[in-house]
Amino acid sequence: MDRPVRPSLASLSDFQFGAVTTETIEDALLHLAQQNEQAVRDAAGRLGSFRETRIVEFVFLLSEQWCLEKSVSYQAVEILERFMVKQAENICRQATIQLRDKTEPQNWRALKEQLFNKFILRLVSCVQLASKLSFHYKIIGNVTVLNFLQALGYLHTKEELLESELDVLKSLNFQINLPTPLAYVEMLLEVLGYNGCLVPATQLHATCLTLLDLVYLLHEPVYENLLRASIENSTPSQLQGEKFISVKEDFMLLAVAIIAASAFIQNHECWSQVVGHLHSITGIALESIAEFSYAILTHSVGANTPGQQKPVPPHLVARTLRAAAASNS
Amino acid sequence: MDPRGPASRPFQRPEKTGRVRRRKTRRERNEALVGSRRPLVRRDPPLASRDPPVAPNAHKLVVITQGRLSREHRGLFNHEVKSLDVARLLSSGSLEPVTPALPIKSSPSPGRAQEPAPQSRSKEKQVPVGSGPGPPSPLELPGLGQLLKELQCQLILPQAFPRRNLVQETRDAIVGTLQACHGCVPDLTLVLRDCQPRLPGTKPGDPERRRMTPSWINNPEQAPGEGRQKRRQGTKELTFTMSNSSSTPAIHRVSLAPPKGPWTPPLPSLPSPSAAAWGPPTAFDLLKSIWLVATPSPPRPRVVGPPQPLPQPPSPLLSQTSALDWSPASPAPLPSLSWVVAQSSPEAWSFPPMRLY
Repeated sequence: MDRPVRPSLASLSDFQFGAVTTETIEDALLHLAQQNEQAVRDAAGRLGSFRETRIVEFVFLLSEQWCLEKSVSYQAVEILERFMVKQAENICRQATIQLRDKTEPQNWRALKEQLFNKFILRLVSCVQLASKLSFHYKIIGNVTVLNFLQALGYLHTKEELLESELDVLKSLNFQINLPTPLAYVEMLLEVLGYNGCLVPATQLHATCLTLLDLVYLLHEPVYENLLRASIENSTPSQLQGEKFISVKEDFMLLAVAIIAASAFIQNHECWSQVVGHLHSITGIALESIAEFSYAILTHSVGANTPGQQKPVPPHLVARTLRAAAASNS
Repeated sequence: MDPRGPASRPFQRPEKTGRVRRRKTRRERNEALVGSRRPLVRRDPPLASRDPPVAPNAHKLVVITQGRLSREHRGLFNHEVKSLDVARLLSSGSLEPVTPALPIKSSPSPGRAQEPAPQSRSKEKQVPVGSGPGPPSPLELPGLGQLLKELQCQLILPQAFPRRNLVQETRDAIVGTLQACHGCVPDLTLVLRDCQPRLPGTKPGDPERRRMTPSWINNPEQAPGEGRQKRRQGTKELTFTMSNSSSTPAIHRVSLAPPKGPWTPPLPSLPSPSAAAWGPPTAFDLLKSIWLVATPSPPRPRVVGPPQPLPQPPSPLLSQTSALDWSPASPAPLPSLSWVVAQSSPEAWSFPPMRLY
């Protein structure tokens, strides 16, 4: 069940950049940008997220055990988060209705408890569904899932597994092909390769995957640092936190930051060139890329952990940026 | 020697026919047992003994998805349909809590899967009404964010992967790469220091810059990224200056330069990639500019080219209150795309607004 060493991705050796026509890349990039813009807009109305280190780690390790692609594990996390948010919304709705009608006012608590009890089942269903969106020959079958659950002491039937999948599907209106930041990273790497980036895309890609793993795992701490850096204040208000959800959904921003951080790790001398390219391609401000990359890098080397929060000094960020601006003018 | 040999043959026929009659078809057997018109049968023990409560109208619902949802390895039209209530697929608003804890089943799954069912069912049945975590106040309404946080904190994950710590493993991998590439962990603040001064200082005509700059960025008719920028610039400029509107329609459909071919020399007169910094800010940029309203506007790369009277550094213009009211859903500092298109472009504008990038 546990593997001491993380297996290398089989897909990495097959990964190839520069094999797609430029027109296709262009169309795909523009499509991603539109999709991202829509996602950022939609995120404005969202009030919460469901992403925690333990849960993401569980999904990642399960995907690893089942030899699934990285993209599948990211997609599973996305599906699970949206499903849980939907469930929480439903519980809140039920609670409101029951309070208003004064009928069985405690029922929503039972729903919550039920959600707790079924969480592992839902989690594996999300991974299973994500696997079905990927390669057909890597679909995780029911027996595999049931064996895994049984080994953990969860006894379920195939019917329940099916019910669970259906619940997830229906909660999300069968829209489970959710975007992940990996698509943005790979697309931008492809463009960088065409644009003559000095660091090979394949080299960047491997580090990008590791960094993206880390951002998924430390999602809240990384974005918390970014928020604090952006407001130069260590105590963001609730409203600011809510507004910042749209930033969390900005996969294009995340992708450029990941690639920039990867370039810094791989080849510091070429880092500026890579950031320049990213800036030119996406139009995202240089300082935003730098700030986000810095937040990712500081978490990457272990300056911050989920347990011991040691925020990036925002004044340092701001001061550095101001100094840089002054040197520009 | 066997006198009955030839003579007995005629008598075998009735026996055979009798045997055939005894060997009823599965349909007949099933009909006899169930007494219903269930269309499909299987070799497993009779279903009638296992799912008597299945209503006739339930099996009508199965027709569409017979067997597909539960028995992929037995083919599409195997009768072993576990999704009798597949009608829920078609019904709306069937979120999990609405779904009954005990799903209706046409037949229990065979073999070992049958055994754990009662336990898991009983586990679901055990859900005590009103026994959720937290104070049992009926008037306490959970907020969504609060509820999600509560769920995250209270969830107990099984120890499925002992001795694994992905965060640490990932960090080790990154630090290992850093050490392999640099010999040590470099000063990370270089990221913040190095970014600003170099890039904007690079001249468009700089040979190094020219080498590094993709042709699709320098050439407005070949660059989708630049094309988007130009379109956006055109969009915004039209609001204020309309200066570059003539270049906008030329990029209705752009194509990339040949990737592997010789670099097209960039046109020095065209804006350098640094001009893309004038482009619309991301949500992150906007929030920063709003929240840092009391501080000097965030540093921007040096402006090369025509002045951009965009709402790019909007912070000094916005009051704190209005700034906090900003929402990505309704930013609306920009004119509508249709208006801009009507004002600027003689061609049909099919490109959607690319406000963020």
